[in-house]
Amino acid sequence: MKNLRYIKLLITIGIVSVLFTACKKVEPSTAIDAKAALTNPADIYTATIGNYSELRDPDYTRSGHFLMEYPTDDIAQGQPSSDDLSRCYRYATQIPTGAHATAFWKKAYHLIFAANQIIGAIPDNATADLKLLKGENLYLRAMADFNLVRIFGRPYTQGSGSNPGIPLITDGNQSNGAPARSSVKDVYTSVIADLLKAADLMTIASTATPKSDIFASKEVAYALLSRVYLYMNDNANAIKYADLVINSGRYTLLQGSAYQGYFSAAPEDNAETIFCIRHTKTQDQGFSAIGSMYYSGLGPDGTSSLTTPGGQGNTGWGEVYASQTYVQDLDKYPADLRHSFIAPYTINGVLQLNKKLTPNTPMYYITKYSFQEGIVTLSSPVYLRLAEMYLNKAEANAKLGNSQLALDGVNVIRTRAGIPTLGLGDVGATGVLGAVLQERRMEFAFEGQRAYDLFRNNLPLVRNYPGTHSLNNVPTTNIMQTVLPTDPRVVFYIPQTEISINPKLTQNP
Amino acid sequence: MIRIYKQPLTVFSKEALPAELRSGISVKVRTFAGIFGLLLTVFTAAAQTGGDKHPVSGIVKDETNETAVGVSVRIKHSSAGVVTDVNGRYSINAANSDTLQFTYIGLQTTDRAVGSQRVINVTMKSKSSAISEVVVVGYTSKQVSQLSSSVSVISGDKLRDVTSNDVASLLQGKAPGVVVSSGSGDPTSSSSILIRGASSINASTSPLIVVDGNIGGTYNASDVESITVLKDAAATGLYGSRAANGVIIITTKMGKAGQTRIDVSSTVGVNTKTTGNFHLMNSQQLYDYQKTFETVVPSDLDHNTNWFDLAFRKGITQNHTLSASGGSEKTQYYISGNYYNEQGTLIDNSNRNYNFRTNVTTKLNDKLKLSVLLNTIYNQQTYPTDNLLYDAYLNLPYDPAYNADGTPTDGRTYPGWQGRDKENPLQALQYNFSNSRAITTNGDLNLDYSITKHLTFGTYNRITLLNDKYISYSDVRTKAGGANSGELYNQDDYSSTLLTSNRLKYDNSFGEHNLTLLAVGEGQSYHFDNALLNGKGLPPGRPVMSTASDIISNPSGGTDDYNFRKYLGQADYNYAGKYFVVGSYVHEYSSRFGSSNPSGNFFQAGASWILTKESFMSNITPISFLKLRASYGTTGNAEIGNYQALGLYSIDQSANYGGVPGAYPTQKENPNLTWEKIKTANIGLDFGLFKRIDVSVDVYQKTSSALLFQVPLPATEGYDYEFENIGSVRNRGLEVNITSRNLVGAFKWETNLNLALNRNKVLSLESGETMASPGASQPVAVGHDINDWYMPIWAGVNPANGDPQWEQLVTDANGKVTKQLTNSYANATRQFTGNSSSPKLTGGITNTFSYKGFSLSTFFNFVYGNKVYNDSRAYFDNDGLYDSYNAMVAPSGWTRWTKPGDIATEPKAVQGGNNNSNQQSTRYLENGSYLRLRNATFGYQLPTSWINSLKIRSARIFVSGDNLVTFTKFSGVDPEVDLSPPPNGPGNRVAGGTSSFKYPISRKLLFGINVGF
Repeated sequence: MKNLRYIKLLITIGIVSVLFTACKKVEPSTAIDAKAALTNPADIYTATIGNYSELRDPDYTRSGHFLMEYPTDDIAQGQPSSDDLSRCYRYATQIPTGAHATAFWKKAYHLIFAANQIIGAIPDNATADLKLLKGENLYLRAMADFNLVRIFGRPYTQGSGSNPGIPLITDGNQSNGAPARSSVKDVYTSVIADLLKAADLMTIASTATPKSDIFASKEVAYALLSRVYLYMNDNANAIKYADLVINSGRYTLLQGSAYQGYFSAAPEDNAETIFCIRHTKTQDQGFSAIGSMYYSGLGPDGTSSLTTPGGQGNTGWGEVYASQTYVQDLDKYPADLRHSFIAPYTINGVLQLNKKLTPNTPMYYITKYSFQEGIVTLSSPVYLRLAEMYLNKAEANAKLGNSQLALDGVNVIRTRAGIPTLGLGDVGATGVLGAVLQERRMEFAFEGQRAYDLFRNNLPLVRNYPGTHSLNNVPTTNIMQTVLPTDPRVVFYIPQTEISINPKLTQNP
Repeated sequence: MIRIYKQPLTVFSKEALPAELRSGISVKVRTFAGIFGLLLTVFTAAAQTGGDKHPVSGIVKDETNETAVGVSVRIKHSSAGVVTDVNGRYSINAANSDTLQFTYIGLQTTDRAVGSQRVINVTMKSKSSAISEVVVVGYTSKQVSQLSSSVSVISGDKLRDVTSNDVASLLQGKAPGVVVSSGSGDPTSSSSILIRGASSINASTSPLIVVDGNIGGTYNASDVESITVLKDAAATGLYGSRAANGVIIITTKMGKAGQTRIDVSSTVGVNTKTTGNFHLMNSQQLYDYQKTFETVVPSDLDHNTNWFDLAFRKGITQNHTLSASGGSEKTQYYISGNYYNEQGTLIDNSNRNYNFRTNVTTKLNDKLKLSVLLNTIYNQQTYPTDNLLYDAYLNLPYDPAYNADGTPTDGRTYPGWQGRDKENPLQALQYNFSNSRAITTNGDLNLDYSITKHLTFGTYNRITLLNDKYISYSDVRTKAGGANSGELYNQDDYSSTLLTSNRLKYDNSFGEHNLTLLAVGEGQSYHFDNALLNGKGLPPGRPVMSTASDIISNPSGGTDDYNFRKYLGQADYNYAGKYFVVGSYVHEYSSRFGSSNPSGNFFQAGASWILTKESFMSNITPISFLKLRASYGTTGNAEIGNYQALGLYSIDQSANYGGVPGAYPTQKENPNLTWEKIKTANIGLDFGLFKRIDVSVDVYQKTSSALLFQVPLPATEGYDYEFENIGSVRNRGLEVNITSRNLVGAFKWETNLNLALNRNKVLSLESGETMASPGASQPVAVGHDINDWYMPIWAGVNPANGDPQWEQLVTDANGKVTKQLTNSYANATRQFTGNSSSPKLTGGITNTFSYKGFSLSTFFNFVYGNKVYNDSRAYFDNDGLYDSYNAMVAPSGWTRWTKPGDIATEPKAVQGGNNNSNQQSTRYLENGSYLRLRNATFGYQLPTSWINSLKIRSARIFVSGDNLVTFTKFSGVDPEVDLSPPPNGPGNRVAGGTSSFKYPISRKLLFGINVGF
């Protein structure tokens, strides 16, 4: 029968198609097999790039910024926000379930884990190219550890690092179980060991061009070493590594209009930046950018310039401003070039006020995180720059009693800013260290340094200007907030989700 | 209740057909048009047979005295036959010794001896009892009475009382143990279905959808003939790895032999938002409230804008269907077109759907049957933009919506705008839009071949193609588009699913022994790809990519694939239609699992016994039917997304840095990852009383093990989680379905009640672990319901100072735990609240009253015993924290602390917030029980005498209301929440039971007419 033949054919086709259509191996299109990810130098290079990319994840860059900068007196939050960033600013309202501490902790450890994979995959006697990559990953691990310990562990100078720090993960193994917190001291020791080794490994031929400031290099490791030693009050080493950076000849302080446009130029072209976290034009975070909280441009009609300050909600939230006390200090010298980093929002020459609080908060927009390559909310946050090396030296010298050397460093920065230099007779009641810290404040405002500068030197943080910190007070018109270096909230709570999974983690009081 | 009838088997033999048709069979039918040609031939052919016998004629009617069209009349033990015409008339040549056999789908087969009669008029009785109806169960169809499984069937008509295009939404409250829930009144949103409780932690809990006999496929509500819900393992088991959450079988309509029916139905109505117990403050109320804790100025009262009302509108729902169906005993067809357009109550939100379906079945010859099912759906959806819903809740009444000249204000530039978001969505809605279009095409080509009398082979093949495009545009003149000088986002998605299912079936009877054997081989492969573009710098009002001057982010796109392969065998045996046994075995492979364990094996067994067929039952007359059922079996769950077993480094755009491509670790490998295994035991009892009341009762236990579980890892492990097969969850429950014909005279009253209890318990997790997600508000803890709430317990307001208070459990040195109160949220102890988001009881009740042509039906559904976390209260009930958001009006019974000694429910209002009082706690955990009049329909069937002169077969007009009344204590707009939301990304469990900025459901008032020709 003719039909039977067709049927046999059909059955055969049916069975064969079942067998074969479903046997094809499937693979994801946007991921590769982990087992094959680190098998050759090219792949290790790609994976190292991937580790840098973790830095620009908002969980690291943005949440990290809120954790490191919002507790300072550089800024004033003009109105309560539903975002956890409010708690970072106000201290008193912090909770163990804070979103930014949770996000940063997770991302920083993921970066450490990823770096460990590469560190473990490259022997110390590998080729120079591979050693360079290993050094870069050691740097990334050290930087993540350092930021974690300064956010979650008490200042090193309190109890010489004996307080609980963070868990140290230096092993590339797949499972580290449930690690306990190492002491602050142990973390610093590990950070220093990593950075020293990194500097050692990141040796390149004198004829070769070093990697740009968006990657780690020997000088980047030295620069962070200078900061780490400064935090430990190891002033000699702070000076030593600052000098290694300064004397490397790779960096120069930007001058004049170049300095005023520091944060709007393409990051790789910046001669002062030692290390920044590169965000390209297509990695703009828009209203979720760091700069969105600090600045809102004019131009809802699409024709006005975005570089002219405008009302809230145009290009950003514009809810966090330079503090009134910071601006008052800046205004002591109208010629101070650092006026370029704030942009008071005025209408017809009248400074606008955010009226959500009483007294009202003046709207001094901040521009250090805006306008890179002409995009209003784009920035590549700067982590290390040459000016810090001068002021690290200055602080270390001040503590070593080398007052003139300290002021020399300060004056390099003041001269560049276009304001008068200081002599020993000018320093006043706070002494040379006070002058150094004041200059650090003026120079590194909004860059996540200020709170650590105060607390490691056992100084209180005083807010005496309008801002939502007044909402902690009764009555709320009292704008004074003093945070002592011994305050429990100088450090953030360990994320509740981590404590829940890892019972060995102790909570900060 | 159910109205799917088994198709009569061969009624016409080839020899019985007219010559022109016989030749038609040999025509090579290559194209669809060819099938139509054939079909038309069948129509025009006079169904007469030759012979020397004398003519016998008559009229066939059904019990309601309506003429029965298309009834097969044939001479018993012969192949000669005819069908009745549109007037129910037939004429056949028969000898005196012949017996005429009248058969018709849904009616009892009737035999009449011819004798000397020349006119034989017949009234055929309907197969009224649900027990004898045929249901589609997976790979086979069966009479309900022969099932050993727990199955619910809902007819298309019962389904469509509510007006919606979402079949899941139509299912709500219609079947016991099938919990349908939706978090939104958005007509473009879909509902979640949960059958017999959640038995998985990280994998999906949605049932498998089977359309017209094959996994997946497309369907439209208007074309649904019936829905069968398979609940226990004996029924779902054949779907193996994907059946753990139950199976929903959708059968689309097919024409009936002999009748040519043209049906037109049209429904048009108005949708309005429902607001329940919820009210936002007006300017005066907000002013008076804010005055108690901060400086307010009289100019606040210059405006009084009701943003909530401005954001909503009256929407129109339209639903029009035109269908033609019919055919001969040889070929049947159903062709339909449906247009559905529902405007959401939120401005700029709508769902428009065009659906075409053609179902054709034809017998190519006496052994070969061909079915072609084609469905094309074109769907256009528009979505609200510019945070419209969010602003509706939170914008301040102080801020005006319109300028003096009637144009919308712009929050960014309006002097003294106070709302936090500086946003008037009405300004942006003039220019911005977000929409999608989707084209779905589904084609089935099925062939059934009778190899011998007892052995058949069937091949079922399906292609499903989806192509959609999503566009979102933010104009330069608006807040959303201002910063980037206009933004445009385009996304194109494509997916194809190819499926072949090949089945060999053996069916035979040996005396009283009846045996059916089934073997199936099935393969499915899926492919997806997409492309995304994101442009900026567009001139105003030119929303096409070519006008963009730059990009926001790099173009992106990717592919996604999976494969399944399955073999199964089933044996089904019964003795004398009294004792039934069924057993099956399934072997399945999936590309989703680890290299060590890609395959799984499943088995099922069931048995049932019809006691009323035993002689000892014959004297117990009140019990018209009694059956016991029992089943046990294993099924699996593979719904965790693709590639979850692999160790992966991501190479997508998130991995590049400084313009250089990179890779970073994102997923931990687990080569042993395999199916979730679920064991289900079910015992059921079906009985009929006085031939008036049908009752089904099922008790079940469903225990899942080797759960696909994302073991959360400390961040120090480098990953968020690792997928493992760990842990066990049990669901136990009771389901009852009662259909009662209370009154059966001229005035009829029928009641259907279904209700279900389910109790869920997590039995074990990873060794030593007590919680799956310790940080979550529903942590999935051993010994608890999977949805138990875990958070600080609100201890009210301190009468002395108005502070919020929470419970704090303090353990002293001796390990003694004491409970004290704290006003510090950081010190509040997170603990079990004793409440869950899982309802204790769910169900529905339908009452239908009819008298002559009038009918009234009411359908209530209810959910009882669940707690809903009213998340958005943190924004508008926060004791002064957000003074640039509007606040809700306190429902009756809530009081605000104002002075020492006040016993209040609401803490003292403090500018900037009172001690984190709006953080997650039981303060916002509310009673989620509700009883809803989901639908009431009043209809009138026009008398035949009126309409016959118009050549109209039947006509009905009705008025219908959806969501008319809801009884609840919930303080938000509506207590319904998504109880089983789908995972948010592969394996990413989303807790159910949270209400957040709810899009209110619509109350619909509709008018409709159904006309049949």
